[in-house]
Amino acid sequence: MSVLSTHYNDLLQHASDELTGNDFPWLGSLRQRSKDSLLMSGLPSLRDEEWRYTNISAIEKNEFKLAARNLAVDQSLLSKALLDHCHHLVFIDGYYRDELSSSQDLPKGVTVLPLSAVEKGEQETQFKSLINASFNDEDAHGFTHLNTALFTDGVLVCIPENTVVEKPIQVVCLASSNSPLSVSNYRHLVLAKAGSKATVIESYYGSQDMCYLTNAVTEVVVETNANLSHTRLQAESNQAFHMGGVYSTLEKSAMFSQSNFTFGGLISRAEIHADLGVESSCILDGLFLGQDKQHLDHHTRLNHKQPHAVSQELYKGVMADQSTGVFQGRIVVAEDAQKTDATMNNRNLLLSERANIDSKPQLEIYADDVKCAHGVTIGQLDETAIFYLRSRGADEKMAKNMLTFAFANEMVERISLEPLRHKVMDELLKQFPQTDILKEWL
Amino acid sequence: MLKIKNLHVKVEGKEILKGINLDINPGEVHAIMGPNGSGKSTLSYILAGRAGYEITEGSVSFHGKDLLEMSVEERAWAGVFLAFQYPVEVPGVSNIYMLKAALNGVRKYNGLDQLDAMDFISMVKEKMRDLDMDEKFLYRAVNEGFSGGEKKRNEILQMSVLAPSLCVLDETDSGLDIDALKIVSEGVNRLRDPSRSFILVTHYQRLLDYIKPDFVHVLAGGEIVKSGGPELALELEAKGYSWVEDNKES
Repeated sequence: MSVLSTHYNDLLQHASDELTGNDFPWLGSLRQRSKDSLLMSGLPSLRDEEWRYTNISAIEKNEFKLAARNLAVDQSLLSKALLDHCHHLVFIDGYYRDELSSSQDLPKGVTVLPLSAVEKGEQETQFKSLINASFNDEDAHGFTHLNTALFTDGVLVCIPENTVVEKPIQVVCLASSNSPLSVSNYRHLVLAKAGSKATVIESYYGSQDMCYLTNAVTEVVVETNANLSHTRLQAESNQAFHMGGVYSTLEKSAMFSQSNFTFGGLISRAEIHADLGVESSCILDGLFLGQDKQHLDHHTRLNHKQPHAVSQELYKGVMADQSTGVFQGRIVVAEDAQKTDATMNNRNLLLSERANIDSKPQLEIYADDVKCAHGVTIGQLDETAIFYLRSRGADEKMAKNMLTFAFANEMVERISLEPLRHKVMDELLKQFPQTDILKEWL
Repeated sequence: MLKIKNLHVKVEGKEILKGINLDINPGEVHAIMGPNGSGKSTLSYILAGRAGYEITEGSVSFHGKDLLEMSVEERAWAGVFLAFQYPVEVPGVSNIYMLKAALNGVRKYNGLDQLDAMDFISMVKEKMRDLDMDEKFLYRAVNEGFSGGEKKRNEILQMSVLAPSLCVLDETDSGLDIDALKIVSEGVNRLRDPSRSFILVTHYQRLLDYIKPDFVHVLAGGEIVKSGGPELALELEAKGYSWVEDNKES
């Protein structure tokens, strides 16, 4: 066990007014428990099995602090992040900004609001019932404790039974350029009640070269026959740190499709966990592109707890320069989870001799009548294909870009929501110097 | 247009080509025939600029320039086109996109503006009709899941779009049934032009029934052992490769 640095200690002790839900005594005790846990366990270290590939000491060294409220907004950053034809909830440096948000015309009974606006009564009950609901004790670590102890805001989304929310709900979390070394802890809670359908998108953006920490935890419950599509688009500053997690519970016949796109961050980690109920289905898509010295970690866990559930997972990584990637995918099939159908694939492309990827698929199967498959590939660009394209007149750089782009584009093409697909494409194209030529592809 | 002088090539220390001499003038069609392992494909790849070959002696000039000094893409821009024996599958890259990128590369090199998107599409579609190719191939990934015949037709399509001055066809007839062979040959014949030359690399005489060569060269053991007119191909067909190997010209 590591000891928490003095600085984080101070952060825990002194932050309180900035936090949300101070009126709710139950939340106070929840926060206190997390503080105690964090003080005891500290932040994760390489000695923890789940963290052995990701060294977070650079995060620990920085003296992050909570940002001030109501700092000026970087308009260009905001317009880069906002998706057309969506409900928007905008957060800057950890705080909700009503004047930048809009969520009119929601179907009757749908709750979409920042945690800071939760009122006593029914909303508070929903808040209380969702927080930590999809979170297993074994999922907890220093950053999730930090999140629970210090989250300043986040969204509460509740879709009532048999309700379809056509317009996607976009949660925009920006790090402003006016608060260097800030830490933003977000807690997002999403409940799709029985038979409902909705799309939630989380977008994380920050100004280039800014150093800050985003620490976001999302908890999701998808009830019987509900259908939730959830996307995380991480386009943080190249000098930022991003810790993110999506912890979900799928009830009977629920459908959850989660996509994860990681472009930014000096050190970034995303944990996607799902507990699958009877006949539920879960699709996990992921794409990460690393450049320079980026370290991008993806950690997925599918708990097949009950029979007849289906999970399909495909993560693709492209590592250039001296970047490092991590994929740890774990599927646990419980004894009762007969007829489980699970496939997990991780495909990686290494573009430089100094790039690196650690991929660790794990299957733990305790049932005897299941279909489980996993595959990992780590490779380089196909020399024959490069020669072929060059022999047709694409220069070497272009040929390599075409092949790399094609590799990554497979994941982008799977996005059905057009404005989102374009946003992800914008981020993808940034990674290619010959962007103008590739754009003709679209 | 193309002058190959005393070309010696090694692969992994082993000499594959042992002094090739070949002169090709504009508008000529040369067939290079030879048994397996004679160095036919090596010669094709050398002209296209593939890595992995060590040129120990000799020279190749193309329109007066040193071809061997040019990169793979420069050769393509300057007008060299290799139709592959085994066209490469390129997942995720659509045919139309590759064609456009390729053509724009060539046009840029030759100081021409990029082609208007509409003009480009209608030009490509017309050429596809000639080759009896369905338009849906345009939007499919390059060669991915194509049958052998479709791949070869796709090579000829690229060739007609890029309009190179030197077309090297490496075993284009291999794996083609008679109908596909006809379509591909007609595609090649349509491209014959007083300013365009062809090198047909083939094991069998069959292709030459459809594409009439001006000259036939027999490559064996890394050397051109015999050269002649179209009648040489027929003679070879009748007598087999052992006939030339046993009767090398001095």
